[in-house]
Amino acid sequence: MITATTLITVPLIAGIVILIVPFAQRLAGYLALLVALGMVGAVAGFVYRFEPMAGYQFGDDAEWIPQLGIRWSVALDGVGLAMAAVTALVVACALGYGLWAGRDRTHATFGLILITEAFLFLVFAARDLFVFYVGFEGMLIPLLVLLAVWGGEDRRRATVQVVAYTAFGTLLMLVAILWLGLTAPNGPDFSMAAAVGRGNDLVFWAFALAFAIKSPLFPLHGWVLPAYRQSSPEVAAVLSGVASKAGGFAFLAVLVPLFPEQSARYAWLFIALGLIGFLWGALLAFRQPDGRGVIAYSSIAQMSFVVLGIFLLNAQGSTGATFQMVNHALVSAALFLLAGWLETQAGSGDFRKLGGLARSRPILATVALVLGMAALAVPGSSVFASEFLILLAAFADAWWLGTIASIGIVLAAMYMLRWISAVLHEREGDLVGQLRPPDLRSGALLAVLPLALALIGLSVAPAQLTERVDPSSQMMVSGAYGEKEAR
Amino acid sequence: MIEAPNVDVLAIAPEISLLVGASLVLMVAAFLRGRDRGVGVVIGIAAFAVSAGFAIAAWGDAPTVTIAQALQVDQLTQAVRILVAGCGILTLLVALGWPRMREAGAEYAAILLFAATGMTLIAGSNSFVTLFVALELFSISLYVLCAFDRSSKASLESGFKYLVLGTIGSIILVYGAAFLYGATGSFQFDGVAAGLAEAEPGAWLVVLGVVLVLAGLLFKIGALPFHMWVPDVYEGAPTSVTGFMAAATKIAAFVALARVLAEPLAPVRDTWEPVLVVVAVATIVVGNIAALVQDNVKRMLAYSSIAAAGFGLIAIIVGGEAGSRALLFYLAAYAPMAIGAFAVITLHERDHHGITTLESIRAWGFARPFAGLAMVVFLLGFAGFPLTAGFLGKFLVAGSAVESGWAWLAVVGAIGSVIGIAYYLRVILAMYDRSARSGVHAAGAPGLASVSIAIALCLGLVIAGGVLPGIGIDWAGEAARVLAAGR
Repeated sequence: MITATTLITVPLIAGIVILIVPFAQRLAGYLALLVALGMVGAVAGFVYRFEPMAGYQFGDDAEWIPQLGIRWSVALDGVGLAMAAVTALVVACALGYGLWAGRDRTHATFGLILITEAFLFLVFAARDLFVFYVGFEGMLIPLLVLLAVWGGEDRRRATVQVVAYTAFGTLLMLVAILWLGLTAPNGPDFSMAAAVGRGNDLVFWAFALAFAIKSPLFPLHGWVLPAYRQSSPEVAAVLSGVASKAGGFAFLAVLVPLFPEQSARYAWLFIALGLIGFLWGALLAFRQPDGRGVIAYSSIAQMSFVVLGIFLLNAQGSTGATFQMVNHALVSAALFLLAGWLETQAGSGDFRKLGGLARSRPILATVALVLGMAALAVPGSSVFASEFLILLAAFADAWWLGTIASIGIVLAAMYMLRWISAVLHEREGDLVGQLRPPDLRSGALLAVLPLALALIGLSVAPAQLTERVDPSSQMMVSGAYGEKEAR
Repeated sequence: MIEAPNVDVLAIAPEISLLVGASLVLMVAAFLRGRDRGVGVVIGIAAFAVSAGFAIAAWGDAPTVTIAQALQVDQLTQAVRILVAGCGILTLLVALGWPRMREAGAEYAAILLFAATGMTLIAGSNSFVTLFVALELFSISLYVLCAFDRSSKASLESGFKYLVLGTIGSIILVYGAAFLYGATGSFQFDGVAAGLAEAEPGAWLVVLGVVLVLAGLLFKIGALPFHMWVPDVYEGAPTSVTGFMAAATKIAAFVALARVLAEPLAPVRDTWEPVLVVVAVATIVVGNIAALVQDNVKRMLAYSSIAAAGFGLIAIIVGGEAGSRALLFYLAAYAPMAIGAFAVITLHERDHHGITTLESIRAWGFARPFAGLAMVVFLLGFAGFPLTAGFLGKFLVAGSAVESGWAWLAVVGAIGSVIGIAYYLRVILAMYDRSARSGVHAAGAPGLASVSIAIALCLGLVIAGGVLPGIGIDWAGEAARVLAAGR
């Protein structure tokens, strides 16, 4: 019987085995890819069997550490399932890319990416705060090692920054989790259900800080740029594509349901920070000299937009935010793989040295354009659908909020257009002539294509996602919505 | 005529086995002139195993007081006997990897057995006389062990430094006990407790006695401001001895401190609590910050063990059933991580023929995949990452603090742990620095198999304690009840 536990244990064990057993590099890569594809299959099965109105499904609930009231409690609802599905897809694509591109990747990198995937699934499925913490903190280890050992030139500083930011956030959250779990009315109980509405402001802020750092939310985004720049393309894809979603997901699935009162009271702050981050990230993305910089800052902008959507605390906002996270995971993962491919091939991601790539490279031009169009939310695209939902929610909240948010969307169009034109059009850069192979072929194409196809699929049938997500996301914000209405 | 005290032989069978083992080792060694004296180590391991066997068999027996009220044999004593014996076995396995064991193995094992006897006795002491005698027994044994490598100046310096400073620590303790005798007219724990309960609060004799006794015990723990000896002694001592000190000395000294605070000094909690709070915070802060700038790995781990002592003091301050349980689990979890980490360093010293610095350990993880990975797990355990025993230990300590109103101490501990991650990461980064993939070759030498076995055992314990900690928590809880009842 395949349950949520399977999603966690299989990649974890497979990852550890691949990490330890000295397989030949190719073999390790194929094994890891096989496991990742298996996960895609498993999640696809879940998506197919999912009953939107039935709440948490495919779960397991067993005693783990009874002395502390800790249970192995995992299950997926619509939001968790959407995140798990996109995680499975992005990880499989990233592994595929790594396998194809990897000259200097040892088998360890593949194992570590699988371990990251396991911990991400754990975050998305956790129904117990202890279990959630294990996933949230646990995924940091493989990502740190990947960044620290296989990162770029300046990896040391990047690693230190990631640790300084994220570890600080999560450890304060640990103290908050301890407080919630140990002061439960009927003896220690770490289940999320038992924690609803019991936290005070301090506990709320400890959680909020951890999630804001992970998302990242302005002004706690300092670690993001070095981390995204110094990672190898596939790790950057996992980091920005799905690992950053752990923060957004946690806002929606943990913070808001557990602290309805505080969430409603401080929603204005998160909305304000979300707006600032959205505009500010977009402006900085416009000024970046290279592809990765654009995508990194656009990630900050997009995640800020997601947080904005969540803290509007209504059904459209939360569904839109989930949808937006899925879209952004696909877009940013694909763009990071593409930008990374360009960078490795050309030796630099600098726009001044690239340009004019569209000429005689039809495949690259097509894929880049499809992704670029999706990213700038062309009407009809899935990103448009999700942004539209959040904007609707914003207008429902206050007209000026919707107006300002719309400005951010215009800015997003600007930086994506700049990226497209800088890479594909304009004068041919110095490095373009050396590009081998000249066009996007085989491995890299195969890695990016599923992501692009998923985007197209979601554009054609967005309801497939929203109708699965909607009941769950509505449930998550319902408590806080009630508090907000009462104010 | 002096009446012979009543001695319950079965109750002190574990100590008797250790002492018989030590004598046996020395006798056998007398006939081994010029031959491999590693056999002494085998006898030593057997003695530890027998001692632990007696303690496990007596687990759950009703507590008794024996040898003229000098020794309490209860669950706590049994727990320390088992833990110390475990540390002893692991240490001897590690020590076999040291080339000089061929000539001095018997003496090493015998002195280690004496040290272990002192440690189990101090945990069960029922009067300040027993406390002092036991303290001296293991301290003097450790002075010798630290200076055991006569060919190394650092080792001699380590032993001498420990001798001089350690003697001062012991004298302070005796002095404190004398003041308490002056105030209460008793050396027995219950007599002192009764006397202190009646003494007028804040009497200078009492305050002086309490502070000096605390200082003596804090010295052995390595807490501020008595921590100066730790880095020098840890650095110079033979690495297997360092591991034993970090693990077993800490267990013995912490349990002795917990017992003294819970039994004789319980009535004057108001006097010692503020002192310990200041000491705990200072120890965590200084230990972590000083560790941050160390390049010598043994020195860094020494400072990290100071920081760990500060964390343990949080559990001491919390006290009661939850605090004591957390303390015991924390100590038990710390032991295999410490012995394991120093075992890995032993291995590296063999490969590298010199001291272990961040420079010399560069890229060594690639040459020794198993030891490198084990070291990563031990360091992650020290740092308190999920799924390691170290995490559960910190979780329990911080949890007990949060539960009983010391949440701010838990936050201090958490912040210390963030700093900790930074310096543990430095070691991991160095071990897997690809840019320095040097000509490090794994030196296969006799005795190294036993080091690997010790590392594997420690690794298993660290992971088992993190994934399935239930048994350990129950066990710590049973032993901790002794301390909780004393209040």
